[in-house]
This record gives sequence, C-alpha cells and structure tokens, in this order.
Amino acid sequence: MAELLPKPRPGRRAFLGGVALGSVAAFTGSHGARGASRTEIAFASAKFFGKETVAQVVEMYNASQSRVHVTYVELPPPSASTEVHQLLVQQLARQSGSPDVFTQDVIWIAEFAGAGWALPLDQEFGADVRKQYFPGVVQACTWGGKLTALPWFIDSGMLYYRTDLLGNEAVPETWDELVSLAQAAEKSGHARFGFLWQGKQAEVLVCDLVEFVGSNNGAILGPDGKTVMIDDDKSVQAVQFMRDTINRYKISPQDVLSWDEEPSRRPFTGGQAMFLRNWSYVYTIAQDPKVSSVVGKVGVAPLPHFPGGRSAACLGGYQYGVNASTKNREAAIDFVRWMSSPATQLHFATELGLAPTRPDVFDDPKLAQSQPFMQKLKPVFLGATPRPVTPKYAQVTLVLQSSVSRALADGNVKQALAGAKDRIAAIVAS
Amino acid sequence: MTRPVAIGSTLRTAAPSLAIVRGRRVDWAPLLLLLPTTISLGSVSVYPILDGFWLSLHNTTLSTREDRFVGWLNYRLLATDPDFWGAWRHTLEFTAISTLAETAIGLGMALLLVERFTGRGLVRAAMLIPWAMPTVVTSKMFGWLFDGQNGLVNWAFRSLHLIGGNIDWYGSPNTALGTIIFADVWKTTPFMALLLLAGLQTIPYSLQEAARIDGAGAWQTFWHVRLPMLVPILLIAAMFRALDAFRIFDLVYVLTGGGPADSTEVLSTLTYKTLFSALEFGYGSALSTAMFATEVLIAFCFGILIVRGMRRQGR
Amino acid sequence: MAEVGHRRNGAQNALFLAGATAIVLWSAGPFLWQISTSFQLDRALVSPTPSLIPHPFILQHFLNIFLVKHFQFYVLNSTIVALSTTFLCLAFGAMAAYALSRLKMRRRFGLLGLILSVSMFPQIAIVGPLYLLASILGLLDTYMVLVIIYLALGLPLVIWVLFGYFQTIPEELDEAARIDGAGPFRSLLLIIIPLSLPCLVTTGLLAFIAAWNEFMFALALTSTIAHQTVPVGIANFTNLYYVPWGDIAAASVVVTLPLVLLVLFFQRRIIEGLTQGAVKE
Repeated sequence: MAELLPKPRPGRRAFLGGVALGSVAAFTGSHGARGASRTEIAFASAKFFGKETVAQVVEMYNASQSRVHVTYVELPPPSASTEVHQLLVQQLARQSGSPDVFTQDVIWIAEFAGAGWALPLDQEFGADVRKQYFPGVVQACTWGGKLTALPWFIDSGMLYYRTDLLGNEAVPETWDELVSLAQAAEKSGHARFGFLWQGKQAEVLVCDLVEFVGSNNGAILGPDGKTVMIDDDKSVQAVQFMRDTINRYKISPQDVLSWDEEPSRRPFTGGQAMFLRNWSYVYTIAQDPKVSSVVGKVGVAPLPHFPGGRSAACLGGYQYGVNASTKNREAAIDFVRWMSSPATQLHFATELGLAPTRPDVFDDPKLAQSQPFMQKLKPVFLGATPRPVTPKYAQVTLVLQSSVSRALADGNVKQALAGAKDRIAAIVAS
Repeated sequence: MTRPVAIGSTLRTAAPSLAIVRGRRVDWAPLLLLLPTTISLGSVSVYPILDGFWLSLHNTTLSTREDRFVGWLNYRLLATDPDFWGAWRHTLEFTAISTLAETAIGLGMALLLVERFTGRGLVRAAMLIPWAMPTVVTSKMFGWLFDGQNGLVNWAFRSLHLIGGNIDWYGSPNTALGTIIFADVWKTTPFMALLLLAGLQTIPYSLQEAARIDGAGAWQTFWHVRLPMLVPILLIAAMFRALDAFRIFDLVYVLTGGGPADSTEVLSTLTYKTLFSALEFGYGSALSTAMFATEVLIAFCFGILIVRGMRRQGR
Repeated sequence: MAEVGHRRNGAQNALFLAGATAIVLWSAGPFLWQISTSFQLDRALVSPTPSLIPHPFILQHFLNIFLVKHFQFYVLNSTIVALSTTFLCLAFGAMAAYALSRLKMRRRFGLLGLILSVSMFPQIAIVGPLYLLASILGLLDTYMVLVIIYLALGLPLVIWVLFGYFQTIPEELDEAARIDGAGPFRSLLLIIIPLSLPCLVTTGLLAFIAAWNEFMFALALTSTIAHQTVPVGIANFTNLYYVPWGDIAAASVVVTLPLVLLVLFFQRRIIEGLTQGAVKE
C-alpha cells in the first residue's frame, strides 16, 4: 500500500528507455554498492512526448547523481486533463506522501495549495531564483504569498497570421485593425475566414475570454481573488466584441462556438483563414508539409488589444509541485531543482518542444538552432496573464463556460455576465 | 451488502420447491449457478453504489477539505438547481428520441437481414461497422463529418443543392442536440438490429407460412405473427438501449462539451464536471444518485412491460 | 431450409436490393471515408472538394502507428481483455440465466431487476470509487481489473437476453435430460448451450465489442503500454492538442476491419446453420 500509484513495469521501462536506460545500467554497474542506499521518490506527470519522453529525462536525472532514484509514473496525456486532475487529487488527498513530486496545470496550483497538498518552496527558491523566470509564471505559481509550484514549461495564447495575405500591412495591434484586415481579406476572397478562435463550452473558452477581457484592461477576478469583475463595462464590452466577430463584423464563422483548439486550427493550416488565436503547438504543425498548406506563410505575434488596453495572453503550461506530505523532502527538492534548471529546460525545449519558463534559456544558441520559432515567442510569453487565481477555480470556470457560451449564443451579454457574477461571487465567498 | 442477502433469502424460499423436485436433499444448483454473477456484480457495483449514496449525504469537496454530514441538503439543492433540471430534460429527450429511432431503424434492418438474398452475409457484416468502430474515434469522426465549414455532410448537402449555405450543426443551440442524437443513432442502431435479428430467427418459419397460406399479406404476417413474438426481445433490447442512452457521455463531451449555452448539457456531462473538475464529491454523488433513481424508474416501466409480455406468452 | 420456400417477385427483389444498399451506404460510408483518410495526407482533409480516392496515396500513417506508436501492443492488450471478458460473460451469464429461467425460483423477476441495477448506475460515478478500491487491492494496471469490471458491466445484458432466449426453449427438452439423470449443469451444457449458439454468438459479440471499445475505465485504471487497451492507445496519439487525424483513421481501420471479418466468418459458420426449426415448435 505504500506505493499507491502504479509502478511502471520493467517491461515498459526497458521499452521506453532506449539510450537513457543504457546509461543507467552502466551507472548502476559501476556504483552498484551505493545504488541501494539511494532515496526512492515517485514522480507523477501527465504524458508528454516529442523526440524524447518525460521518462527519458527522468532517467537522465537518475544517471546524473547517486543520491536519489526517481520512479516515473505516467498519467494520461494532457488532452485528458480532467482525468489527470482527478487521478492526482485522489492521490494527494490521501496525504500518504506519494507521489513525492508531481506536475500540474497552472489552473490547479491555487487549488492544490489552498488544500495544503503542495509544499511551499520559498525557503529553497528565494527571490533571486524567482527573478529568473517569466513574471506571469511566477505569479501563477504563487498562492497566498507563497511559492507553491516551480515552473516547468510555458505556453500561452497568441495570434497567428498569414504573412502572404498581410503583404505590406503591419501586424494588427488593436482589435479594430484586426477586424478591418480580416474583413478585407474575406472581401478580396483571399481567405474564407478572417479570424478564428475557440468558443466551445470548455476550458479553452475561458482562455480566450481572459485574453479578450484582459486586453481591455478588464479582469474576471480582482487581485484579491474575491472581487468579481466579470460584469464590469470592460468585460461586457470584450464579450460583446467576441460575439460581434461572428454576428456584426462577420470575420468569424458561427462554428467557433463549437470549436476548440483543433477544429479552429485545421482551416488555418488548410489555408482558409487569415488570423487564428491558438497555442504555440500550431506553429510546428503549420510548418509540416504533410499537414499544412501554409508552410512558410505563417507569422506569430502577441494578440491585439482594445484602445487603451494592452495585449493579454492566457498563460498555459504545466508546473512542478512537491507533495506536502512527502517523506523525502530533500530528495524531492533536489529533483525539482534539477528539472527546472536551465540545462534541463533547454533539453525539454529541444527534445520535447516544451517552451522554457526561463527567459535566459530563450537566448541559448542551441535553442535558436533546433527551435528557431520558439525563440520568437519570448515577447509573447512575457505578457502571459494567469487565469483567475483562486482555489475554487474549477467551479468558477464551469460557471464562466456556461454563461459566456450563453452570452455568445443569444447575445444577452450583460444579463449573462451579471448572472455569472452572482454565481461566482457565491463560490469564491464561501 | 444488500444483494447477497436478497439472493440468500430467495434461495431459502426456493429450496423447498426444489427439494420436492429432487426428492430428498436441498439443491445447491441455483446457488452455484448464480454464484459467479453474484460475486461479479456485487464486487463491482455494491460498493460504489453505497459509497455514492453515502457521499451524497455529505458536503464533501476534496479541494476545500469540507467533509460534513449534511443529510438531504444536496438533494434539496438539486431540486431547485436549474442546471440539473435542464440537463435532466436534455437527457430524457435524448434517451427517448434516440431509443425510438434506433428501435425503428434497427427493426427495419433486422427484418431485411433475416430474409435470404445474395450478399446477405456482407450486408450483415457491414451493418455492424458503426458499432464496432472505437467510440473514441466515432465521436471525433462525427465532429469532422458535421463540421459546419469543412464537414462532409454540409458538402454533400450543398452538392445536392439541399441547402443554400452551411448549417452550423454543433455551434447553434437549435441543432446541436439533434446532431448528437443522429450520431448516437448511427453508432448504436446495429446493437438493436443484431438483437432483433437474433430474436427474429427464433420465430419458426412454419408460423409465417401458415399465416401466408391463410391469405395474410406480408404486413399482416408481420403485425400479427412476427411482431407479437418479437415483443419480449424488442423490449429487452430497447430497455438496455434506453438505460445506456440515458448515460450518454462521450459524444456530448467530445463534440460540444455541453454547449453552446448548455443546450446539450446532459446528466453525465454535468455529473462529470461536478465530480472530476470541481471535485464536489458530495453534490456530484447526489447528481449521480438522482440519475440512478431516474434509471430505476425507466427500467421499472420497461420491466413491467417485459414481465407482462413474458407472462402473456404463457411462461 | 424452409426459408427459401417463399419466392419473391421482381419488384420485391428490387426493394431488397435498395434496402441492402441503403444499409451498406449508411453503415459503411463513414468507414470508407476513414479508410480513405488513413491513406491520405492530413492536409487533404481541409481541401474544398473532398476526394475519396487518396492522392497522393501514402502508407505513412500505418507505419507511424506500428513503428512509432507501437499500436500492436494496445491491440494485443485489448484482444486479451475482450476475449477473457466475453468468455466469462457467456459462461457466467448462461449459468445465471439458466438458473433464473429453469429452476423454480420465486422472485426471479426481482432478481433480474437487481442484476439490471449495475446497468443503471452512471459509469462516470463509479470510476472514482473503483479506482481507489483497485489501488488498495493492488490491481491497478492489470488485465484482471479491466476484466472484472467489464464482466460486471456486460453480464446484465447477457443474462437478460439469454434469459429471454432460454424461455423460448421448450422445457420438455431439458426435463427429459433431467429424468435421464443429468444434473442442471449437464443439461445446461448438453441441451441448452448447443440450442442457443446463435444467441450466444450475438450476445458474445455485443460483450466483446463493448469491452473492446470501453474507454473511461481503461484510462483511469491502466497506466502503461503493458496493459492499456486500444481506445487509450488512440487517445495517447494526441500529444498536447494536436490530433493526428490520419494516424487515428489508420488505427480505427486496423481495429475495425478484423472485427468485421470476424463477424463475416462467424455468421456464415453459425448463424446460418443453426437457427431455424429446432426451437419453439
């Protein structure tokens, strides 16, 4: 019962290990006697893969030192993030100390910290260390004034545009500019759709919402996590604009109301759209001739803003957490320190395509060589804004999804958002 | 542990009559025959069902570590929760329409496939494809087929000049639920057809032949000879279909997430969000218990019809 | 066979042909599209005029799923789990249905209702408790936990359908066997089972496909490629957001086609030969 999460079976490890496993074998061979005294810890994470897998990076850590041995427990991929969340919570809630280290979506950080499941890391990672990361990420990793998560990788919403259709025009910086460019592209027949985004009643709708509202200097929750601002004029204006892209400006098809990331990405890489709001994963796909018809014709920029506002990019990505009930605190800290170090972040970037949370790593020539696109994203990530930070986020987001979807579908924006305000206020107050 | 007790008591009452049949000693045969089923169902269902009911009397929310006994509070909240009643209505609507459509189409398919014609084997195998395709794929596939812009369905309709512009199947509250029902009908009609086909094959041909000789047409033979004999299996199949349709989850979750504007929110997706995303285990369990109660009602209605049907056939 | 006794005229034949064509188009149409997709570049999916003939024709997706994504392991796992489930479902289900339909038990409809209750509890609500139960028992990431759960999920349908079918088999048949000294187990095995083969095949097929396609429990209860089943394997294709549609189409072709061939084989062998006549005269 000590080990509640399933242990990866040797067969699987050998199967995945490849080169990394070879090095482990060599290592234990030479240090066999000391190997037995290593501290054993468990690390649970959602499944990510690129050229390498998370398992292989963990084996790199195991091979790099002789004090700690990490067993990697693979959870479902982040496309099944609800299941990942549930499996993690079931483990953490038992407070048995297993897994010692885990990774978490940014939106779970406050929840896990509020429940007392995540170990505060301020002592080990002081202000000087925190300065080395993107400020938005550190903000999202902080709950109740304490750092309760350590940054792993970053992602955020961004504006994709067609360089060939834009021609000599400047990349739009305001939504008005985007609307007129998009309408022109539709009118001239260069693009079927002016602007694609995601309005499916799902988490992604809240991400888009944060960007539209944030770019109008609005917010969903105030900084105190208690004041609900979703029915402020600025928010109403932003949501009205979301609806207007469909019904008034006609730069977005009504279909965005049922689209999440992939359905909105496909017409864009299929060459049918001028602008697209999406995450960083789209770029690699847009450059793959097997999937994309717009290879070499795609540019990326920060999302536009309303007059007087500033661009807002919804912060995504997964971060490390240490189980508050861990019995191997030292070992766990050592492991996350290594995992979040510049060298490992660079490795994650080049081999798994996960963008670093340390701005410095973006300037590394090796990154420029293997992921030239990622380097261009640094300014986008610098403006990344977290979604509402509250331990009740999971309940808040459900209300937002339902009310904003309603506002977009029937157009009674004010009424829907006022309803959302009351329900959210009741949730965060309790 | 209600189930073993119930079976035990049944066996006690059953034993004397069996003892008469066998002459002397108590017969353990029914117990032995039912034992594997009892263990299997008991181990998988009893604990979660009782656990769920117990949780529904608490305000357990994992992330806030609230865990107090609150009695019927969750059910009182449920009674006035518009989200719940909205989802309840959508679910019933979905269940009724999809079950009826699947039964009708499935019956049609079965009636055709029970006849002998060249290539029947191939058609029977083809008929099963929708049911055999992995559900994780079909839900995404229907996303594609009915995509409002690049979907094949809109393309086909446009090519045939049935529609002027694209229909936004999933993005409009008016069509979203209907489209999901259509996807479900496509996917699960083979289930009905297969069971009804098996049922049709038990009807002796001599009965139909006798009817024909008496001058009955195809329709009369169907209505007066085949259909009455098909009723028990038809009801059983429809009942299982309805119970399953009531728990519809994948299609809705993948295709619309319950939107737009909650127009496709069903009880399963609502419960899933409450349980797994919001981690409100207490309220979520009340939701699932309410689902269970509704399912019991549905099963009860079908059960009465089935038992009556079987009794009428003299068994 | 008595079936052929009735001759159809030309118009009826045309009607049958039309009906059969409609069924094939309706059922196999989307699947043909999947097959076509599995040989096409993903790029082709958003072309304004969809084409059923792949151009260019590529095998990349199939190579991808086997060589890179090791889909064969998932297929093996699914085969083991679904076959075990089907076998146990039929064995246990036939025993229970026989007990309920033949042995003079009172309240058997009450029992049938109780058995049904498993089918009535929302599956999403029992995933959590069963996960905890399985972790306490050390059953996580095993074939056994999946078989146990799928068995319980499949049994109610199997029992109900077999019960209904057994009711149609004249009791005199097994009564006679019993008078000859056969116990209930032997008369089940020697009289009832052979008479019920078509129904067993049908319900077995339903149980098999249900186990083959189940996703939610497999996702929660297995965590490595050593035991994960096909639906989880397909879900694993998706990395962060990107859905590699061609690979998914190839995978669905790989897992659907054998099932269809199996059905073709089985129904020729068993359904055709055994159904008519013997029963319920």
